[in-house]
Amino acid sequence: MFTRLSTAALVVLLACALPAHAQDWTFTGGDGETVILDARPQRIIAHQDAAAGLIPLGIRPVGIYADSAIEAAKALEGLDLSGIEIIGTAWSEVDIEKAAALEPDLIVAEWWDRNSAWSGGADIARTLSPLAPITGVAASNSIVGMIEDYEALAASLGADLDAPAIAADKAAFETARAAFEAATAAKPDLKAVAVYAGNDAIYFADPAGAAELLDLQSWGLDLITPGGVDSAGNNYFETVSWENADKYPTDLILVDNRSAATLETALAQPTWTLNPGAAAGQVADWPAFWLRNYAAYARELAKLTEVIDAADASVVP
Amino acid sequence: MLGLPGLAMALLAVAILSLTTGARAIPYDMVWSAFFSFDPAATEHRIIWDLRLPRTLVGLLVGAALGLAGAVLQGATRNPLADPSILGINSGAALFVVVGVAVFGITQLTTYVWLAFIGAGAAMLVVYSIAALGREGATPIKLALAGAAMTAVMQAIINAILLTSPRTLDEVRFWQVGSLAGRSMDIALQVSPFILAGAALAFLTARLLDGLSMGEDVARSLGQRIGLTRGLAGLAAVILAGAAVSAAGPIAFVGLTVPHVARAITGPSYRWILPYSMLMAPILLLGADVVGRVISPPGEVQVGIVTAFLGAPFFIALVRRRKLAAL
Repeated sequence: MFTRLSTAALVVLLACALPAHAQDWTFTGGDGETVILDARPQRIIAHQDAAAGLIPLGIRPVGIYADSAIEAAKALEGLDLSGIEIIGTAWSEVDIEKAAALEPDLIVAEWWDRNSAWSGGADIARTLSPLAPITGVAASNSIVGMIEDYEALAASLGADLDAPAIAADKAAFETARAAFEAATAAKPDLKAVAVYAGNDAIYFADPAGAAELLDLQSWGLDLITPGGVDSAGNNYFETVSWENADKYPTDLILVDNRSAATLETALAQPTWTLNPGAAAGQVADWPAFWLRNYAAYARELAKLTEVIDAADASVVP
Repeated sequence: MLGLPGLAMALLAVAILSLTTGARAIPYDMVWSAFFSFDPAATEHRIIWDLRLPRTLVGLLVGAALGLAGAVLQGATRNPLADPSILGINSGAALFVVVGVAVFGITQLTTYVWLAFIGAGAAMLVVYSIAALGREGATPIKLALAGAAMTAVMQAIINAILLTSPRTLDEVRFWQVGSLAGRSMDIALQVSPFILAGAALAFLTARLLDGLSMGEDVARSLGQRIGLTRGLAGLAAVILAGAAVSAAGPIAFVGLTVPHVARAITGPSYRWILPYSMLMAPILLLGADVVGRVISPPGEVQVGIVTAFLGAPFFIALVRRRKLAAL
């Protein structure tokens, strides 16, 4: 008798608990942690790169923290930010009072496996996590893969991925990618290298450290892999004195376009033109590390395709 | 003793070393032929002419300017710690560069030069005006205090800007450490007239500084106009230090130490201290730059860092070995 009563009580208890569980929102982030909330989050604070991934998919954060002034944040270029509060404009800095006033349900950043940290600065996650759980996709070896991860995240947040604008962006990207592949296929001998130019040295990029370069490689662009890992032990770039600017002679040079000043700096170096590609003016933008959506990717690919179509692939024998 | 001809030979040797040393291995005969049978198509010749020669010239000019500026300032203020940084010259230049980058988005070194120059002059003017307040005028101690206070204020503004604008920090990082890398011939040509004029003015004040070093009362009794001497020496120092800081960034150590070394060799007369400082400072600066180029391949260490690393132990040893001449 007693056992039956307690079983009945248990059933009642379960019955009460179950409807609440059916509303749960769960997402496993790039850090491997699963965030469980009892309702789908509505109010999101996002790091600039995550915002650049989510906004085009129809998920609008209430607040964004950026690594720089908004006009210098390449990832956010061309996005409609109206109504979104900017709560940070410097690396690893966020206005915690503004963030709290936004009453976020969720913080979305990007997980960097190499540094075991969330994007935007290590302290940011610590500062914001008391307000709401933090999650996001992982930085990976392909921007396309990251965009697909953003689609999964956005879908779980209630985005309608079949919306015409989203489909149009994706179609435009597919067209741009096909054109890029056709352009590289037409010039199999074209050699390229991606660089950052400083006043102190020229930095040759290792494609393995930049997802968009790996994408371009997989679509047929012959990108140089620089030999040396620099003395600081980071393998994103090889640091080379301007005296050896011709260390990797190529037909085409891609220059980091996060800041327009980088190309100006490159052009101001007397030995910039030691590289035959630079001497021939075959220089294009490298959308370094900031692409997070199809629309931006399509724009950048179209620019690259145009340069490759016009390039002479025999500048370097 | 080394003597001026010896120093000149040493300087020549360092300059040749600077032309022949670099990230790219260029054989000596190639360096020779770059000067005597220049071939515009030869990559090595272009590197000598476009990179190493301007860098060497800027190093010579900046070094000479820093050495002279330090010596003149120490003499004029009779303060053994006087150097361009203590009178706010370096911070003034840095402040104008940082504001130019942060507010006006300036990114090129050739534009920094003018900003830094104006900043150095403006800072010196403000420091002098503050020090000149009051009945006794701009005494050395008031100059040093006003300079230190202004330096603190300007440094605070610089830090505030750099902390809120990582882009600016990124742009000015290499300039702020002090470096000769990436300096084009344009920069050498931009600053050389100022350094020549400043040097001429500095040498004109040598005799007056000697008078001053005997004490203000003695100098006055010899018929010297103290205020005029200080004004001329200050002007020379601003022109020299402003030009140096604008071309290479704030390099603090050279202007402070080299005159002391010179004084230890020559004795108290500024007619000797000035030329010795002018030759010894570029030896230190250019030598440090050459070391910085080869010490951590494939990258380079900025000259401002190497100078401090090389210069500091040497200076400490000097201070310990013999009593430095009082001013």
